[in-house]
Amino acid sequence: MDQVERMMERPKLYYNIDGVGELGMGFMLLCFALLEWLQINSPAGAIWHRVYVLFLWIGLMGAVIHYGSEAIKRHITYPRTGFVEYKKRNSIWPAAIAFVTSALVAVGLAFAVRSHWGIGSHMGLTTPAALIGLVFAAAYAYGVARSVRWKWAVAGTIAICSVAIAMLPADLVGSMTGSTSAFGAISSASAGAWLLIITLYGVILLISGVISFVLYLRHTQPAAETAE
Amino acid sequence: MNLKTRKLAEIDRVIHEPGRLMLVALLSAVEQADFLYLQHETEMNKGTLSSHLSKLEEAGYVEVTKTYRGKIPQTLLRLTIEGRQAFTQYRRRMKEAL
Repeated sequence: MDQVERMMERPKLYYNIDGVGELGMGFMLLCFALLEWLQINSPAGAIWHRVYVLFLWIGLMGAVIHYGSEAIKRHITYPRTGFVEYKKRNSIWPAAIAFVTSALVAVGLAFAVRSHWGIGSHMGLTTPAALIGLVFAAAYAYGVARSVRWKWAVAGTIAICSVAIAMLPADLVGSMTGSTSAFGAISSASAGAWLLIITLYGVILLISGVISFVLYLRHTQPAAETAE
Repeated sequence: MNLKTRKLAEIDRVIHEPGRLMLVALLSAVEQADFLYLQHETEMNKGTLSSHLSKLEEAGYVEVTKTYRGKIPQTLLRLTIEGRQAFTQYRRRMKEAL
């Protein structure tokens, strides 16, 4: 019965067979990194700090990811390895609960590390962002890497980057955001760590997605137009 | 005949065949998929796949829709409600029996 359960998992893993899932995720993270960088490097009254710009940014980014993925799937993936229409989710609650639980675990870990081992004040682990990175690496390993062996290297890179960023001195990470307090209550070290993390993850996922896409193109051919 | 043996005897033989079990398991996880996708995942040849799908269609477990993607013919397959129920029951019976 384990094999049957594994078979039932395959359509979910199929979504990223061409690397489109990672390309979309990488693009999204880099878009957020770019927005944060623009906010950091612009005065407090600049357009980049307006809430409506954030929504517009998310809308545009979402549209590019949605229509871009759809175009790749329609013109490249479906003619080569077939079409799948996924089930509409009956409820958003499972995903919402998973997200909130992951975030709580990450924040809890951050507080535990800070209070029990005193790491934070001198090593720059003043933000849960790096630990959220470890949760992200675990989620990536579960969602993507278990189906493709070489993706474990990507999961490992994400985890190593998270730890490395956590070990960076707070003033070094904070210097990335300059002297501006663009994020109000958030410390410059936290903002800098966040910017560094989403940029790195974006680049890693984009590279992994491109490699997957090239490998997919190399190993598949459009199906012959014959009767089924 | 003990209870476990009786449970095994009640197992749906249409679904129990390994090739068809793969197809039903794949289709149970999606809304619908095309012939090419099933061929890609199961690595069956067209003849074998067609034969299994015909048996599942005859049993009322799979609905087949012939359509076109642009100018290319496309065969879409989805599990019917009966098919989903039969697969759920099959999995429950197998778990009980094993």
